Amino acid sequence: MKQNVSWTYSSYRRKQTLRNWTVMLATFFCAYWAGISCKVDLDALRAGIPKGIEFISYLFPPDWTAFADMAMPALETILLAFLATVLGAFLSLFFGLAASSNIAPRWLRNLSRFLLATERSLPEIVILLLLISALGLGPFPGVIAMAFGCIGMLGRLFSDAIEEINPATLESIESVGARKLQVIAYGVLPQVLPSLLSNTIFRFEVNIRLSVLLGAVGAGGIGFQLYYSFQTLQYQRATTAILITLLLVFLSERLSNSIRKKLSQEAKL
Amino acid sequence: MNVSLDKQYLPSERYKRHAAYLSVLALVIIGLCTYFKFEPLLFITDFHYMADLVVEMTPPNFEVLWRKEKIFISILQTLSMAFLGTLVGSTVAMGLAFLAARNTTPHPTVGVIVRTLLAIERVIPSLVILLLFLIAVGLGPFAGMLSLAVGTVGMFGKLFANAIEGAEKEPIDAVYSVGASKLQVIRYAVMPQVLPSFIANLFYAFDINLRAAIGLGVFGGAGVGYEISMAMRLVRYRDALALICFTILLVFVVEKLSDWLRSRALGQDLLK
Amino acid sequence: MIEVRQITKSTKEGVPILKGISFTITKGEFVGILGPSGAGKTLTMRCLNGLTRPTSGEVLFTDHQNNLVNLTHAKGRELRKARRQIGVIFQGFNLVKRLSAIDNVMIGQLGRINLLRSLFYGFTDDEAMRALAVLEHLKIAHLAQRPVGSLSGGEQQRVAIARAIYQQPSVMLADEPIANLDPTNARKIMQILKPLAEQMPIIGVFHQPDLVMEFCTRIIALKDGVVVRDGDNKMTRSELIDLYGAELSEIEASQRILQPV
Ligand SMILES: Nc1ncnc2c1ncn2[C@@H]1O[C@H](COP(=O)(O)OP(=O)(O)OP(=O)(O)O)[C@@H](O)[C@H]1O
Ligand SMILES: [Mg+2]
Repeated sequence: MKQNVSWTYSSYRRKQTLRNWTVMLATFFCAYWAGISCKVDLDALRAGIPKGIEFISYLFPPDWTAFADMAMPALETILLAFLATVLGAFLSLFFGLAASSNIAPRWLRNLSRFLLATERSLPEIVILLLLISALGLGPFPGVIAMAFGCIGMLGRLFSDAIEEINPATLESIESVGARKLQVIAYGVLPQVLPSLLSNTIFRFEVNIRLSVLLGAVGAGGIGFQLYYSFQTLQYQRATTAILITLLLVFLSERLSNSIRKKLSQEAKL
Repeated sequence: MNVSLDKQYLPSERYKRHAAYLSVLALVIIGLCTYFKFEPLLFITDFHYMADLVVEMTPPNFEVLWRKEKIFISILQTLSMAFLGTLVGSTVAMGLAFLAARNTTPHPTVGVIVRTLLAIERVIPSLVILLLFLIAVGLGPFAGMLSLAVGTVGMFGKLFANAIEGAEKEPIDAVYSVGASKLQVIRYAVMPQVLPSFIANLFYAFDINLRAAIGLGVFGGAGVGYEISMAMRLVRYRDALALICFTILLVFVVEKLSDWLRSRALGQDLLK
Repeated sequence: MIEVRQITKSTKEGVPILKGISFTITKGEFVGILGPSGAGKTLTMRCLNGLTRPTSGEVLFTDHQNNLVNLTHAKGRELRKARRQIGVIFQGFNLVKRLSAIDNVMIGQLGRINLLRSLFYGFTDDEAMRALAVLEHLKIAHLAQRPVGSLSGGEQQRVAIARAIYQQPSVMLADEPIANLDPTNARKIMQILKPLAEQMPIIGVFHQPDLVMEFCTRIIALKDGVVVRDGDNKMTRSELIDLYGAELSEIEASQRILQPV
């Protein structure tokens, strides 16, 4: 009897060990080929480290006088991220409603979910490249790209929040003879407002980071200053831009965390 | 009537308040937009440019996908950058997380230092990290992969550390009570508890890194992102659309695949 | 006013739940529906507002302008117009938790006010004061500004009643409107509903035979999806035992929930 039990345990262990080895070997195999295709070159990395450190020394001291020039681009970045977030959240709300099973008919819901998933697979920078080809460089394509970039993520989050609403509440509003839009205004929006705001603010934080990247491609703002300084070898000026970017990202993260904490307390009510 | 609403709750007061907020907000936005010469109307007046672009892009020239070997390689590069970046980054992140978490750190000071470093690292924009690596190891997928790895450390070091700190205390005490060392406690009491969240985050990191790999490719001169930006720059719009469609499909499929693998891994207590 | 003709309802799998229910309610009536849990009372009420479509049979509603609406087929505008005049108090209240009590009450008139105005919560001060007056009538005016989610069950129940009263319907459907109230408050609500029934017929589902006999003008008893009794407001002990089962007398002995009949 006792033997029987220990035999079962060891076979269980053996099966697990086998699985672990399979997973590890598969990972290693993938990593090996990925390494070849990525042209991983440890010698280059070893040689590159001193180069990198030497380069970092060029970055210091930051060019303090450039701060004045960068204040406006920083403000522009905030404005771009803000406008994009507001516009994006607004668009996402429509998609979010259309993608919720308790609001939209089944076919519309499935279609919207599919569109949202497609958008999520499309990196913002690709949208920006497209818009730049159509509209030229400038902050405007950047905002539109970020706004469209929101839709995939926010629309999905919004519709998940909306689908959590108890259908009985919506039905009870219908029972007084209200129309669909009224049901949305009274049954849906107040219920999802905290999660709506909290996700939107989180997206603002993401957009601040993103606007640095998009700015470099030509959407203006602090990202453009950063990239441009690098390209023109004004490294100390670039450091200033980096510091300002850090500050922006840090502040937006702080702001978003504190607001979202408050909102989540409110939502518990 | 002996009761009345507080004045601020009267509907008429409510609109006045809301109208005031909204108009202040609108004024600020309009002011800033004019200052930065930012014209949303452009979207309407210049809309025909967008329509032109759409016309120029269709039909997508799917032939590039198999005619050019370069494209195939670039897609492999994007996938590899994301995979290796995630693997290297999350391994380092895991190690740092054990140093950072309050319940497993070798010394509280170490914990504070590691957590501060992670916090600083997290706010550095990925573009800056990429530019540094481009200078260190040159243009190409290796620099992209390294910057993804560093980004992953920042992103997931903190998440992992939080997961470790969230581990229940009783099992840890139980393993200590039989005289186990700190490493043994980590192996037998902490690891089993945090592994599911590690695995879930690992797949999440991969999804994020795949998108980032496409974006960073534009600057790093590698991967499918670079190919798209080149096609756009060379005004080969039909090639670009084919690549974009393919990218969407790729991200879609890889995401589904990683969802499936994750649910299998989590369902089976893999690696325990 | 409202006529129910042989309605039946089966689940998707074909299990019958309502098995041919008919009754007619006219002006001035205060109908109490009694029946054990799962008898189909809520389902019947839902059919009366067009929230559930019966499998067969018809629900005919005559509105205040003497238009006949067939609730089993009505759609869109016609259905909304009829629903305006049919107030419902739901068994689970189904209020909007994050809106204030007074906003929930004002939802009652959404069917009547201009769509554009209503989308922006554009109520007039006058409407707000009237809603407040209804809350005051139910003794919860002091809670008007609190989000409904933070109210107790009994308070929410009274907000739901206030909403139905504020709606000014021509028929009121009340699904267990006093289920969450203490005996005193339950009696008070019955005292409020009773005079209302003179303006609009009320169909209420109750689990308190004593209060029903005291306040209602007519009692309909439902069991297993069939009307087992439809008549005046006096039910005998043996009728009640038939309805709720033989255990009733034991409970009665221990709790004295029934008054001697
Ligand atoms: N959508 C549905 N699908 C399947 N069965 C249902 C559905 N709705 C109700 N039922 C069933 O129909 C029966 C009657 O339900 P109903 O809610 O009308 O009961 P009730 O008389 O109101 O009971 P209670 O006094 O507990 O409120 C119950 O057995 C219930 O399980
Ligand atoms: Mg019921």
